[in-house]
Amino acid sequence: MGKQEDFVLRALEERDVRFVRLWFTDVLGFLKSVSVAPAELEGAFEEGIGFDGSAIEGFARVYESDMLAKPDPTTFQILPWRSGEGPSTARMFCDITMPDGSPSYADPRHVLKRTLSEAADKGFTFYTHPEIEFYLFKDSPSAGNDPVPVDRSGYFDHTAQSRGSDFRREAISMLEAMGISVEFSHHEGGPGQQEIDLRYADALSTADNIMTFRTVVREVALGQGIWASFMPKPFTTHPGSGMHTHVSLFEGDRNAFYEAGSEYQLSKTGRQFIAGILHHASEISCVTNQWVNSYKRLIGGGEAPSYICWGHNNRSAMIRVPMYKPNKGQSTRIELRTIDAACNPYLAFAVILAAGMKGIEQGLELPREAEDDVWSLTERERKALGIQPLPKSLYDAIGIAEDSELLAETLGEHVYDYFLRNKRAEWEEYRGQVSAFERDRMLPVI
Amino acid sequence: MSPTSGSLVRLGFLDGEAARAGIAELGEAGPALTSKLAASADPDAALAGLLRLAEAVDDRSAMLAVLADDEGTAMRLCSVLGASEALSTHLAKHPAQWRELTDPTLGTTRPAAFAVRAALLECVGADPLADQPVATVPDVEAVDALRVNYRRLLLRLAARDLAHHLALDDAAAEIADLAAGTLEAALAVARARVGETASTTRLAVVAMGKCGGHELNYVSDVDVIYVFEPADDADEGVALRAATQLAAQLMQVCSDHTAEGTIWPVDANLRPEGASGPLVRTLASHQGYYEKWAKTWEFQALLKARPVAGDLELGQRYVEMIAPMVWSAADREGFVHDVQAMRRRVLDHIPAHEAERQLKLGSGGLRDVEFAVQLLQLVHGRADESIRSTATLSALAELIQGGYVGRDDGEALHEAYAFLRTLEHRIQLHRLRRTHVLPEDDASLRRLGRSLGFFSEPVAQLDKQWRYHRREVRRLHEKIFYRPLLAAVAKLAGGDARLSLDSAEARLRALGYDDPKGALRHLEALTSGVSRTTDIQRTLLPAMLSWFADSPDPDAGLFGFRRLSESLGSTPWYLKTLRDEGEVAQRLAFLLGTSRYATDLLEREPQGVRMLGEDLQPLSAEALTAEMRAVASRQVDPEDAVRAIRAVRRRELLRIACGELVGETDVALVGHALSRLTDATLEATLAVAMESMRTGRGLAAQPARMAVVAMGRYGGFELSYGSDADVMFVYEPVDGVEAQVAGGYAQAVVGELRRLLSLPATDPPLVVDADLRPEGKQGPVVRTLASYEAYYAKWSHVWEFQALLRADAVVGDEGLRERFMALVDPLRFPAAGISESDIVEVRRIKARVDDERLPRGADPHTHLKLGRGGLADVEWTVQLLQMRHAGAVPALRTTQTLAALEAAVDAELIPRPDADVLAAAWRLVSRTRNAVTLVRGKPSDQVPRDAAERAAVARVLGYAAGDSDRMVNDYLRTTRRAHGVVEKVFWG
Repeated sequence: MGKQEDFVLRALEERDVRFVRLWFTDVLGFLKSVSVAPAELEGAFEEGIGFDGSAIEGFARVYESDMLAKPDPTTFQILPWRSGEGPSTARMFCDITMPDGSPSYADPRHVLKRTLSEAADKGFTFYTHPEIEFYLFKDSPSAGNDPVPVDRSGYFDHTAQSRGSDFRREAISMLEAMGISVEFSHHEGGPGQQEIDLRYADALSTADNIMTFRTVVREVALGQGIWASFMPKPFTTHPGSGMHTHVSLFEGDRNAFYEAGSEYQLSKTGRQFIAGILHHASEISCVTNQWVNSYKRLIGGGEAPSYICWGHNNRSAMIRVPMYKPNKGQSTRIELRTIDAACNPYLAFAVILAAGMKGIEQGLELPREAEDDVWSLTERERKALGIQPLPKSLYDAIGIAEDSELLAETLGEHVYDYFLRNKRAEWEEYRGQVSAFERDRMLPVI
Repeated sequence: MSPTSGSLVRLGFLDGEAARAGIAELGEAGPALTSKLAASADPDAALAGLLRLAEAVDDRSAMLAVLADDEGTAMRLCSVLGASEALSTHLAKHPAQWRELTDPTLGTTRPAAFAVRAALLECVGADPLADQPVATVPDVEAVDALRVNYRRLLLRLAARDLAHHLALDDAAAEIADLAAGTLEAALAVARARVGETASTTRLAVVAMGKCGGHELNYVSDVDVIYVFEPADDADEGVALRAATQLAAQLMQVCSDHTAEGTIWPVDANLRPEGASGPLVRTLASHQGYYEKWAKTWEFQALLKARPVAGDLELGQRYVEMIAPMVWSAADREGFVHDVQAMRRRVLDHIPAHEAERQLKLGSGGLRDVEFAVQLLQLVHGRADESIRSTATLSALAELIQGGYVGRDDGEALHEAYAFLRTLEHRIQLHRLRRTHVLPEDDASLRRLGRSLGFFSEPVAQLDKQWRYHRREVRRLHEKIFYRPLLAAVAKLAGGDARLSLDSAEARLRALGYDDPKGALRHLEALTSGVSRTTDIQRTLLPAMLSWFADSPDPDAGLFGFRRLSESLGSTPWYLKTLRDEGEVAQRLAFLLGTSRYATDLLEREPQGVRMLGEDLQPLSAEALTAEMRAVASRQVDPEDAVRAIRAVRRRELLRIACGELVGETDVALVGHALSRLTDATLEATLAVAMESMRTGRGLAAQPARMAVVAMGRYGGFELSYGSDADVMFVYEPVDGVEAQVAGGYAQAVVGELRRLLSLPATDPPLVVDADLRPEGKQGPVVRTLASYEAYYAKWSHVWEFQALLRADAVVGDEGLRERFMALVDPLRFPAAGISESDIVEVRRIKARVDDERLPRGADPHTHLKLGRGGLADVEWTVQLLQMRHAGAVPALRTTQTLAALEAAVDAELIPRPDADVLAAAWRLVSRTRNAVTLVRGKPSDQVPRDAAERAAVARVLGYAAGDSDRMVNDYLRTTRRAHGVVEKVFWG
């Protein structure tokens, strides 16, 4: 057993930890947790904790259901909301392995690790920095009732004694207590809508952090008697919740996107990376925006893009190259604006990285920059400029994804197959639903 | 009296005339120096060097007088001048340094490391006693002074080494001390360059590799890792910058080329994240990295970590911080796999043209010894602190002492390593170049041989010794892992330390055995007793154990070997073959550790071991039929006859299985071979059955001609190990025989044939399945040709014609076979292709088969036969193309899937890329299917669910250990793509 494991075992004693939650993520991005007593942890480090994989969305076919969750000791944290004065609870993220010790291809964390290590073989490390949006509601959701946001404020509003700012303060201090640095937070455009930005970190840590973040935010909300949701588009009329993500590649200490003197200080590598993402944008859409509801956010206007294009400080573009700040070569990055906070962050980061790397490997040329507000263009203008639309629905996205070698390669055959089957089923179920929209339109007139 | 040129040649000079002149030039000192020059590695070069030096010195006569007078000095100087052109040149440039060699303590006293450090620091004007010495000599001069003084000390060292026969480990340790002092002085120069801010940081230089191991070469990159901490209250950012500058400058000071040359490159690439990682890190940052990211090879490298310069206290803390991680590395996940992978990588990276003359890498090279020693240290070092030396030879001695390595093996390995390293030193010393390749020209070889003390026939002697030691390393480096295991179970009393049973278990576990206790029991059984057999086993087992360890299931391999040995033990050729023919033993080990199918065959037919040394190419059908007929004809009783036929079949199954397992026989060829083997078996058995029925009925002649039609995968030459042979039987009454008599006879022959082939026996059964005949199970099992004709004319459905695509009448009466094929050809290859409604019917049947035939609980993705993109998908697609187009395209008229696919491409019925996708899937699935049977011993239509079986199948398919989920991923990808093509081409 290594030092880190010893450290964890010692911390269990010192902090009087009574339960350790082992966390992992299913294919759709839901957090799964199994609690073990500290006494079992030593065994868990060595051999993993066995569980029935077939009970977890997308993990296993019935007959090979024996799987092992192996805690990653570097992710050990005390859960602040479970720890008052008395004994405390801790958590660790797990890697999922097969009984013979080989990593499971069904584990989203492994999907990302595999993709990262392929990039590492070419000398790159992948950093991400998400801006996570979500809504706060007065009550927990109940079928048939319209959700009521906690306030009526707007973008950057400062409101005295608002529930939103109380909430953000508590959530942020809890995140910091778990070792997750917060860069920035403010009220977003919709009523009750918040944004909290996490600090730059390598993609695996960020994905772990997002999983933690979603849990912390929901816990804090519950603690304050309100409800938090990352649903991409809860209201027809108010902006949706996205997860704009800044990404960059590093070669050792050097930001591979930076090149002094080039346009926007963006290196050839950076340009090819963007080209790769644009080229594969439709294919990866069903991973970065995986719900029926996700596509209602991507309908024209506001902060959410609908077209495959890039621009410099162009908020209507799918990829934005932010303004370069002098002498900040290390912070050169690009912002991907499609992705929403209800994605599986492991899979989403993996496909973004894979698409970008394809651009680098194949030396793709960056299409011309979109300088205008893409929504204000006419259909014909967009056509003339070669700007393609993103998939308009989950159905479109699945259809495109089913022909994507990139997705199959990146997710691995098992996850790819499961994911698409699951999404197809979601779409079929949705298709049969009769909505309020239809009733409101039709009942009165026909 | 001055010597003649002839006498000088006898003494070892090559150019006697020049030598005579040269020695004369030395004047009075000449005669005294002659024998010293002659004893050097290259007397001519030594003499030339001496003359050059004498030209250069200020006090020529004083020098010559000292040399004539002081034997020690003369010997030291001559041996250096004879062995090292580079040092000879150095002396000519800095002639005053000859006086260094007059120091009489050179022969007796090893210079203290602190004195070397002090001397080098002083030469750049730094105070050796200071906490952080800073060079005060101006930079350019300091850099040159460091080079000159480095060579001065190297000169003293080389003199000690050459003239006073330092032991290899002492020489290597002194070179490492000199390197450490040099790094320290270079750091002092770097501090002067960086200036004020240098004091904000505490920088430790930790040596890795050979310098860290205290066993450096004369010329080598010096591997280091830098650790820093902010000094006192300095800001970490400032300290980081200062430390990075210091580290970078230090490397430049050592590697820059100036008028005084260069020293050696300092290589910091063993640091975390290698060349792309930050040059310096704090202790905590190192710790974070190693705990989280480090790979096994990094821990192996860290075995050698040793603080050598800068802040030694910090360096020591670094070493203490990593020690627990290094010593628990063997417990890490995948340790065994990593280690084996590392070794393969090393072997793969040697350029072919150098491999033969490489001292370091390559089979039997220095790296083999170092690797073996380090691996044993990692495995046993956690429990036993007494074997943690960083130097290879010291560690080896400790391992011998602790019983981890057998004494004889260990000492032989020590001797070989010391020889090879000394040779390497002498090669490098000549020009002070970093090389590990033995030169090829005679002059160099002569010099090297003489420097090692081979004065008569130096070239031949050197060559012989070198080959001998390399062979020893090759022989021993694997065995030292396994031999002590035998000692551990041996009941013999011995004086040497023995590996304890616990350590033996730990080692077996590290080598990949899951059940070390069981393995030790097998070892004990195989080696107990004192007979000749067990003697041979003892020599054989170390190698066998290592081969088992490379196989997917080492435990099964060893157990299988024990059983085989128990049944064959006393057979004279058995152990002798294994001992004398390495390839046979190695193949055997692989088969036993991989394939239950082959193991089962071997246990029933132990003689098969012999075959492993032969050509594993399948025999031709003619040869097989002839042999089977011959063995059958020697038996009177039909059952005995068929038993003999089946014994031949069993032997050939083993041949084919081994050929596929060792990768000699391609999957398509395996299908051919198995089908031909079935042809021969049926042919010979049919003859026996016909004869037996004829005599049983008291008939003078055969009342009917008979033939067997191969169907299905058998007809397509695509049999797998476990496949049934699908057939149809046809007969034809001989003219003048009553139909009833002939029919009864034919019926009886078929019954007898099936009975004989299914008699319980020790070979895998050959199941003859006639269910594809007209009317299936309800129809008569054998029909006349006319009856087939009538049936097909009246009743037949499209699926029956589809089945006929694979019909190939291969066994029995030749005329009848031809007539049968002539009958079915127009049916299966209709001139205008099958009708639209028949196409719809084929698709409908396929849809139903996909849905219904898949067994309950089977996973459609990994079902080999009926799964997505599996065999049925590909074969139906090809068959539909055949039924539609074979009438017009004669090349499509084949029973074989791949051949038909190729013909379809040529006829532009399917695009080349699509056909390639189908062929790739067909081959992969077929290979997987064979591998599954070979591994499990019985057939299955599913990629194995059991983790161990899955891993073994992956290994048979050529994947590395631990890659089984990748194998599944590849399988799924290949079949998914094939399914896409099937969607397009079959379903249209």
